[in-house]
Amino acid sequence: MTYEFNWSVLWSGQSGGWLLQGLLTTLEISALAWLLAVALGILSGALRTVPWPPLRAAATCYVEFFRNVPLLVWMFFWYFGIPPLLPRGVQDWLFNHGAEFWAGTFALGVYHGARMSEVIRSGIQSIPRTQFEAAQAIGLSVWQAYRLVILPIALRLIVPPATNESLNLLKNSSVALTISVAELTFQTRQIETYTARAIEALTAGTLIYLVLCVSIAAVMTRLERRFAIPGLIARVGAG
Amino acid sequence: MKRLLALLLTLAVVLGGAVPALAETTLEKISRTGTLTIGTRTGSPPFAFINKQNEWVGFSIDLVEQAVKPAIERKLGKPVKVEKKESTPPTRIPLLSSNAVDLIAGTMTDTRTRRESVDFSLTFFVTGAQFLVKKGSPIRGIDSIAGKRIAAQQGSTNARIIRERVPTAQLREFPDQPAAFQALAQGQVDAFTNDGIQLAGLVAKAPNPGEWAIVGDFFSYEPYGMAMRKNESDFRHLVNVGLMEAIESGKYFELYEKWFGPKGEVPYPLTADNKRFMTLQVVPK
Repeated sequence: MTYEFNWSVLWSGQSGGWLLQGLLTTLEISALAWLLAVALGILSGALRTVPWPPLRAAATCYVEFFRNVPLLVWMFFWYFGIPPLLPRGVQDWLFNHGAEFWAGTFALGVYHGARMSEVIRSGIQSIPRTQFEAAQAIGLSVWQAYRLVILPIALRLIVPPATNESLNLLKNSSVALTISVAELTFQTRQIETYTARAIEALTAGTLIYLVLCVSIAAVMTRLERRFAIPGLIARVGAG
Repeated sequence: MKRLLALLLTLAVVLGGAVPALAETTLEKISRTGTLTIGTRTGSPPFAFINKQNEWVGFSIDLVEQAVKPAIERKLGKPVKVEKKESTPPTRIPLLSSNAVDLIAGTMTDTRTRRESVDFSLTFFVTGAQFLVKKGSPIRGIDSIAGKRIAAQQGSTNARIIRERVPTAQLREFPDQPAAFQALAQGQVDAFTNDGIQLAGLVAKAPNPGEWAIVGDFFSYEPYGMAMRKNESDFRHLVNVGLMEAIESGKYFELYEKWFGPKGEVPYPLTADNKRFMTLQVVPK
């Protein structure tokens, strides 16, 4: 028997609406987690290069602790591990107001923040030390040197690896289905439940992820060109 | 853009041509390989699960070994061995279509939608959806779940019914039973809905079974069947004959007692109605 494809299940009934809901949830959770990851990443990435050992140690602890435990475990940690520590009333309020969504966002943001931190750190460390010394020589404080000289250059350098990390974050948001967040992958399974058509549903999900990721990569490439500092990155061929 | 189009085209070709046509029937395949390959669960006691001795056993597996297999052997006139592969709700139908397995024997509910993709044997077990709650919960059944947080297993027919019948219930769907049960134990949800027998299996395995109650009348009808590729009437007939003979000879009820009896993995008495239903499925010789 050959598998009879029936693509119409994707646009008949509720499938289209579900895919759209799933897509929106995926975008929401990814966007919020991305903001958190970038904030944490810039902060801890910069702290790992500062001249004060205690701050470096604290940032190192954060990175190593969060990036070396699987994301799935973090999902369970934020969803099953944290709420019992809160008062009963707060718990109930949370569970009625999307606790799983926020747990998923935190897990994703904090985990990818630790990975983003390494990207930022490598960006900062690729800038010649003389830049920092020059900034100090004209009388800038460490904070000013970072804010006005080091970070603006580093953030331009790291667009490619940061894009990679952002795409990972987007795809990893599918892990949130394990704590009942109804994102895109969840919805493709939902379609399978209702129509018994697994291959069609998964193909739809695959294509949506692909289009999303390719579009993000395209935007980031333009961003990179737009903000490139002439002479800083030697471009080979047209990207 | 051109490159992207080429990529998408490649993908379409790969997906479209993934399943080569096979002119061989299931029976011919079993005869040629000497093997009946079944797809079954690893964590659905007592139907199909890995026990403490690390053996892959269960009621559905026993039915294949002791009812279906003998009927096939008699037909082919040679011994056949049963090979087991893991199947989950999302992979069941694709595994059949790709010829990776010949028969799904686990906890698959026979539904009209699924019959558009696969064929089912006669019904080998009857259950329905109920709710698992902590003892003393105000939830008494499907009529008292409005506004409550209800966990369900994704891919189950029960979640679908709740969505349709009680749209105000806050449904939380988890990919597997352990996560849903954990959410109930911790208070993330107020109740967990699943087939009554699966809930009984969970409670039997829970560290403190006395804390839990299974409540409510069946709000769905879940007849479990064995699934196979469509339009294989000879094979389907053999599977059914095997099951009928097991019901007729009492073998079925022996196995029922072994798994669901007072000493079984999950005690779940056979109701008079269900017993009658099983025997009525047996057509005359």
